[in-house]
Amino acid sequence: MATESAARAGENGDCLLDMRGIRKMFGSFAAVDGVDLQVRAGECLGLCGENGAGKSTLMKVLSGVYPYGSYEGEILVDGVPLQAHTVADSERAGIAIIHQELMLVPELSVTENIFLGREIRRFGGLMDYPAMHQRAEALLRELGIEGINVGQQVLHYGSGHQQLIEIAKALSKEARLIIFDEPSSSLTATETRTLLSIVADLKRRGVACVYISHKLDEVAEVCDRITVIRDGKHIGTRSMAELDTAQIVTMMVGRELGQMFERKPHTIGEVVLEASNVTCLDVMNPKRKRVDDVSLQVRKGEILGIAGLIGAGRTELVSAIYGAYPGTWSAELRIEGKPVHIRSPQAAVAAGLCMVPEDRKRDGIVPLMGVGPNITLSVLDHYARGGVIDGNREAHAFHHEMKRLNVRASSPMLPIASLSGGNQQKAVLTRMLMPDPKILILDEPTRGVDVGAKQEIYRLIFDLASRGMAIIVVSSEMPEVLGLSDRVLVMADGRIRGDFINDGLRQEDLLAAALELPHRIDNA
Amino acid sequence: MNASVNVSPAPSGQNRMPGSTRVRQFFSQYKIVALLVAVALIWAYFSYATNGAFLTSRNISNLFRQMSITGMLALGMVFIIIAGEIDLSVGSLLGLLGGVAAILDISQHLPLPVTILLVLLLGALVGTFNGLWVTWLRVPSFIVGLGGMLAYRGALLGATGGSTIAPSSDAFVVIGQGYVSPATGNVLAVLILALLAFVTWRRRTARQRLELKVSPVWMDAAKLVAAAVALFVFVHVLNDYGGIPVPVLLLLGLLAVFSFIATQTVFGRHIYAIGSNIEATRLSGINVDRVRLAVFALMGVMCAFAGLVNTARLAAGSPSAGINGELDAIAACFIGGASMRGGVGTVHGALVGVLVMASLDNGMSMIDVDAYWQMIVKGLILVLAVWADVVSSGARR
Repeated sequence: MATESAARAGENGDCLLDMRGIRKMFGSFAAVDGVDLQVRAGECLGLCGENGAGKSTLMKVLSGVYPYGSYEGEILVDGVPLQAHTVADSERAGIAIIHQELMLVPELSVTENIFLGREIRRFGGLMDYPAMHQRAEALLRELGIEGINVGQQVLHYGSGHQQLIEIAKALSKEARLIIFDEPSSSLTATETRTLLSIVADLKRRGVACVYISHKLDEVAEVCDRITVIRDGKHIGTRSMAELDTAQIVTMMVGRELGQMFERKPHTIGEVVLEASNVTCLDVMNPKRKRVDDVSLQVRKGEILGIAGLIGAGRTELVSAIYGAYPGTWSAELRIEGKPVHIRSPQAAVAAGLCMVPEDRKRDGIVPLMGVGPNITLSVLDHYARGGVIDGNREAHAFHHEMKRLNVRASSPMLPIASLSGGNQQKAVLTRMLMPDPKILILDEPTRGVDVGAKQEIYRLIFDLASRGMAIIVVSSEMPEVLGLSDRVLVMADGRIRGDFINDGLRQEDLLAAALELPHRIDNA
Repeated sequence: MNASVNVSPAPSGQNRMPGSTRVRQFFSQYKIVALLVAVALIWAYFSYATNGAFLTSRNISNLFRQMSITGMLALGMVFIIIAGEIDLSVGSLLGLLGGVAAILDISQHLPLPVTILLVLLLGALVGTFNGLWVTWLRVPSFIVGLGGMLAYRGALLGATGGSTIAPSSDAFVVIGQGYVSPATGNVLAVLILALLAFVTWRRRTARQRLELKVSPVWMDAAKLVAAAVALFVFVHVLNDYGGIPVPVLLLLGLLAVFSFIATQTVFGRHIYAIGSNIEATRLSGINVDRVRLAVFALMGVMCAFAGLVNTARLAAGSPSAGINGELDAIAACFIGGASMRGGVGTVHGALVGVLVMASLDNGMSMIDVDAYWQMIVKGLILVLAVWADVVSSGARR
């Protein structure tokens, strides 16, 4: 089928990687079911599919996380069968994977991370730091990355920089095929640009890439061909030249998606939340201000977007408002005109302010608990008398909520960690809606979430706003900020650099403000 | 770990496994069954090795009384472990509170209820003190426990002047050595069974009303019958030797309370949530420090109970009381399926863990195993039990 035409379209068709008829079973469930995948040297292949389609499983087969023999099918690298029993085996064949959840050791330095397990040694097993630092710096320079001190511990860098360090690490392994699993999910727009130009550069050098992403504009820009899988099955492989993003989405979901942002008319009322003079000091270095004297207002029924580059202080700002900032902070808050003193999330929830945190795995889910109890966690007292839970009323509530928000799980008692990212996110969001807040803060509400769930979350946000909730959305995805918000604040370096009414606002305007280009702000 | 998070259609435990794996899964799901099988094997072996002397009602009665003290510590400890903490001070605190009880009873001649109340209160206070170090001052619980282990032992030595305080008043001794009359035991058994039947029936009707999955009638009935048989054999055996020992009854009462807390209350749910992900729990608007403080306070109260029973059993306050008590309690929790990482564990599991340890102690003493071998065997059993748990749960601890 389409695979044939694509194969012919690419002229000098010597495959670097050839995966044939891969099938991976979990019990009687086929997570990957007969998928073929070819990548040529110097080519970037986009691998698309909704969460749970089997992309990650397929890549784990390739990278040796699932050892040879635990799956069916054949993997050829340069025409030679690859029978990887460990990740090290596949790395030796020149395959490196950069995971969505970064795999760096925070306490080690950048250099130590890059060379972890392959340290350059001196006589007697001593680390040759000068040589490694030099090589690490050279790698980063090659990638055009600035502002990273290779001797610093990785924990000093945000997830944006960490991603780039991971790429440097893959390159240091002399990888011929690099798999990027959702590489831009925690990157800002500029960092994504850097990443895409790095991928293009890798292609020129003859390195092949597999690019897994939900961000189809990136896929369209950087990939030569696209393979789409759905429910573990190979739906098709096409040359990017014959596709547009809408067609990819159709192949991914098997149906036409309506418009992503179905705006619902909502009226904006009185000021509900007024935060003044919010200042946050850095946890490690209290002399540095992560948020510097910021003030903001949100109105009833208003969706306020907060955009900015990573490290601009957006997450710090909203966690301080929510009373959850880990370091020292000060803030003056008023809710519906009345001063409130919020020094803990508990106080925030009691005052009618809820937040869905940025890092779902670290701060969102309670992994060992069922989906249902995860949802009722914030309001368990409502279903209890004298501290004793009325299990029936609780079960009734979470069944109802799971149905209402379309949280899909075979049982409400299934540990939430076994659900897809989209369902986890919907569950955590539901949890923070249970207290019926007046103000809802969503920090990266759709990170690592598939297209379908994304659309559901957007619809929910508009729905909540139309019912009068004041909503703050922090997002690194510019289209998301623009698609959702009534008003957008742009932060840079701990301060607000722009306050825009979202009326014909363009990504360029936001970016200019985030990059602190004053003339562009004047134009807006 | 990624596999379960990213690959959404993670195999969700339905009938998808071949026989042997199914058995394994059954045991990992009903760890308690596996543990009870282990207890049965241990008992069968000792019974064989002692020509039946192990299974006489006298010995069984002794065995249960011996486990009551560690059992009380384990009840408090399992909450601490589920919350992701540890408390090493409980052995010393047991000793200290037992010593205080002896002083109040023997030197101060306070009436029994006053002594009990004061000791329980002191236990709660010291537990809260431990908890404040952990929650408010952010000192890791391991360190707080280690410090407490030394300090409370020292306080005990100072309070008793290093010598045993004896003899306790007759009323006091009943807590550790007394028996409930056989008739009362029988009445209690019937009442408990009626309660179990009522709870089962209520759960079934409630689940039916909510259109939730109801387990088949025969299964609930079988469970009830099994409970009835176990209960009456238990009471009958103990009645054969003077009735249910008071500390055993106390332990059973506390077991019921702790099980209830763990499974039916907001507080219990919050303990599990904190152990599984404290940050997510805090961000959900829960006062996690208050919950953790309460868990430590409860541990202090359990030390008080254990100290009272211990002093009553010996009819004296001893400066060496409770040495290594924390290790037995912690080992029992892990044998009973609690996880080092928190978030996992059950109250009844911890108690069966205590039963395993107590059975080994008792049986090996009966067949004259040297003390040093007893320690080696107990150590091995602890590691083996946790290994079996790791294997059966697919290495997810």
